[in-house]
Amino acid sequence: MTRFLRPRLVIGTLLVVTVLLVAIFAPLVSPFDPAHQDLQATLVPAAWQHGGRLAHLLGTDMLGRDVLSRLIYGARPAMLVAVTAAAGAALVGSLLALAAGYLGGWVDGVIGCALDVWMSVPPVILALIVMAGLGAGLFNVVLAIVLGDWARLCRVLRAEVQAVAHRDHVAAARLLGFSHLRTALLDVLPAILPLLAVLFTFEMGIAVVVEAVLSFVGFGVGAGQIAWGQMIADGRLAVFEAPWNLLAPVIAIFAVAAGCNLVGDGLRRAFGRGRPCA
Amino acid sequence: MSLFAVSDLTVTARLGKGNETVFAPVLRGVSLTLDRGMVLGIVGESGAGKSMLGRAIADQLPAGFAIASGRMDFARRNILALTPATRRAMLGRDIAFIPQDPIAALNPVRTIFSQLREHFAQLGLPRHQHRARAIEALAEVQLPDPADLLGCFPHQLSGGMCQRVLIAMAFASRPRLIVADEPTAALDAPVQARILELMAALQRRAGTAVLFLTRDLRLATGICDRLAVLYAGAVVEEGGAASVLARPLHPYTRALELASPSPDMRRGLMVLPDHMPGLAALATANGCRFAPRCPVRSAGCAEREIPLIGDDRRVACQYPERTSRIVPSPPPPPFRASAGEVLLQVDGLARRFRVGGLFRRREMSALEDASFTLREGEFLGVVGASGSGKSTLARLIVGLDRPTAGRITLAGADVTRGDAAARQIRRANLQMVFADPASALNPRRRIGSIITQALEAAHRPAVEREAVAAELMRAMGLDSELVARLPGQLSGGQRQRVSIARALAARPRLLVADEIVAGFDVAIQAQLLALLARLRASGIALIFISHDLAVVRHLCDRVVVMQAGRIVEAGETERVFTRPQADYTRELLAAAPPDIGPPAPTLLAIPPPSG
Repeated sequence: MTRFLRPRLVIGTLLVVTVLLVAIFAPLVSPFDPAHQDLQATLVPAAWQHGGRLAHLLGTDMLGRDVLSRLIYGARPAMLVAVTAAAGAALVGSLLALAAGYLGGWVDGVIGCALDVWMSVPPVILALIVMAGLGAGLFNVVLAIVLGDWARLCRVLRAEVQAVAHRDHVAAARLLGFSHLRTALLDVLPAILPLLAVLFTFEMGIAVVVEAVLSFVGFGVGAGQIAWGQMIADGRLAVFEAPWNLLAPVIAIFAVAAGCNLVGDGLRRAFGRGRPCA
Repeated sequence: MSLFAVSDLTVTARLGKGNETVFAPVLRGVSLTLDRGMVLGIVGESGAGKSMLGRAIADQLPAGFAIASGRMDFARRNILALTPATRRAMLGRDIAFIPQDPIAALNPVRTIFSQLREHFAQLGLPRHQHRARAIEALAEVQLPDPADLLGCFPHQLSGGMCQRVLIAMAFASRPRLIVADEPTAALDAPVQARILELMAALQRRAGTAVLFLTRDLRLATGICDRLAVLYAGAVVEEGGAASVLARPLHPYTRALELASPSPDMRRGLMVLPDHMPGLAALATANGCRFAPRCPVRSAGCAEREIPLIGDDRRVACQYPERTSRIVPSPPPPPFRASAGEVLLQVDGLARRFRVGGLFRRREMSALEDASFTLREGEFLGVVGASGSGKSTLARLIVGLDRPTAGRITLAGADVTRGDAAARQIRRANLQMVFADPASALNPRRRIGSIITQALEAAHRPAVEREAVAAELMRAMGLDSELVARLPGQLSGGQRQRVSIARALAARPRLLVADEIVAGFDVAIQAQLLALLARLRASGIALIFISHDLAVVRHLCDRVVVMQAGRIVEAGETERVFTRPQADYTRELLAAAPPDIGPPAPTLLAIPPPSG
């Protein structure tokens, strides 16, 4: 277990788990109702700045809503999208990678060709097209990210599956009478799980950023909902009066993305390159 | 005055952390001397410490290992006391090294010339001489067209050619001492013989002293003047090469000799129990480290430290006279006349590959026109150099690959096309054991679960699986407590036995074994061979693929010799080995290191041990 006790893994896990907990228990930890408007107190700067108030730690926005509370509620769509989109991309990517790498032959040819075509489309453009076509909404954000990113995971995993599929224990399983499906699940899949875990955490970081980008341009979550990307878009307008309207969500996105990358990188080092983890 | 002397060298490995730190001696009080022009062989199994000796000389001890005491004198200077810079300058110039794996030792992205140049620059040779010296050096190791070779990359050369390049590099500085760490372990027998001849010629001409590290006692005898046998980090016997082999004084030397099969005759193999103590065991070991495995030990052996005594012949044993009592096991039973039914018939089998791009496509043949029959209960050896098509043949037989021509008949049914029916017949009749057990066992499955994979595939109940696992582990000599371990926690020899047990769990009539004893030390090899020989009684047939003629002669009834994808000779083992018909077979036989000789005569009349 000591190999998992490395600084980047511990720090990254703390960051991600904290944000996850905050998102889950948002109603308990947020000081105000994030939708409550106080038009008497708009664009209040942060508490430590000149004219700040202790009640509104990070100040208020143009409609007098508490920035800290909005930040806390904004973690909900961000983390929901991060987890589900990463899971979706990992599921699609690993299934197709297993099929291509294990079966080889024409299956590999078709999937490999699809990968080449798919990866030539810029993922953000693809996401924008999906959002424009299907409209805003959390589910569509997840769909856009999965559609844009499964190919990247699939390509990396396919190479790993190919390497594992050439090991003798896979041939032995076939000779002993296991079906292709059971061989793939029992002898190949476990060997690629470490890599999958690493890719999953990296993908979470990417998903948070993409969700913010889509919310920023107004294609993200529905109109009445709170999202970090939307906060940035709103905060832009009052950047000089109340800079924390903009800075707070930027820092939050940065923290989650960095946390995910630290976890991914830490896992990669803990598993070692190509070494199986027992 | 000797050229190189190691005196009382002790190298320790640090194990554990904090208060539990212990130091395990991987080399313990080793003393050796080497005169100018002499070849000293250091013989030992893996883990005996021979590579640590080489690394200690090269100042390349791995992290956690350190020289605890002793000295090493080269040309009257203690090299351990030299400044790092002086020592580095000495290494590569006065002391050169020839590595074990030639292909790994060369940089794959640089040409031969650029690598030679780097070496010459280090030796301080002026730039304009580099090309001429490089051509001269390559010509010296008998490489054809040295000028053309300079522009080649290592992957364009064979393993033997790469090793010649490295030998050329080692000799280029006219060193006084060369340390060669199993320089031919990765090469085929005929290539190995030529490389050794070449090394001997260069060594004699330049008067270079050679420290030859190897695990092959027979090979060492052929080329060394003196031998030192290492066991668990200490020299247990030392003396003139011929004398050590004619009359081994230490029981371990005798056991090593008797554990390797002979290409010249059939005799029983000596199977030592257990294995050499590992690092952790060395930390606490006392007395004679060989005592627990020694067939002629006394009660006191494991308690007393036993010094290496004697002048020219030194031995670390209290009862050297008992060694001659160790006699070979009775020879294996004579070959049976193959009277059983035909189990497997292969007719005109071929496997060709298409290589090259869209244009310039050509066919490469891995196997051409292979035909033979195998009867029930027969042990068939398939021998040949690497690349001769042995493994392709095995993969075609078990159905991991499809032939491009020919026919395979198994148990009376045509299984050439690998359809569902053929798979069913194969599963009922044959299994395969792979060369590398590390790759053949799923690293995440428990041993018990691996062994009974065949029953799992057939959906048999867990109770039955447990019973079968226990029974097979007993038959394979595996401790029952290993059942819940993972493959990574087992030694190589144990893993290979797990791999064999898994194949047997499917109750096959034919076992296809691809190089399953290669790469193991002779003691482990002897254990595996004894295990395979016991399988004879069960009436199973075996196709045994190997590059080692001696092993095939020991085990197989009939033998097939392959060269470049074709079968060049087939017949009864005795006939092929005593009266070979094909030129290639004769070449193979000539290249194998000669046998050690007849069992040592009993020098003292000692009554056989009672009890």
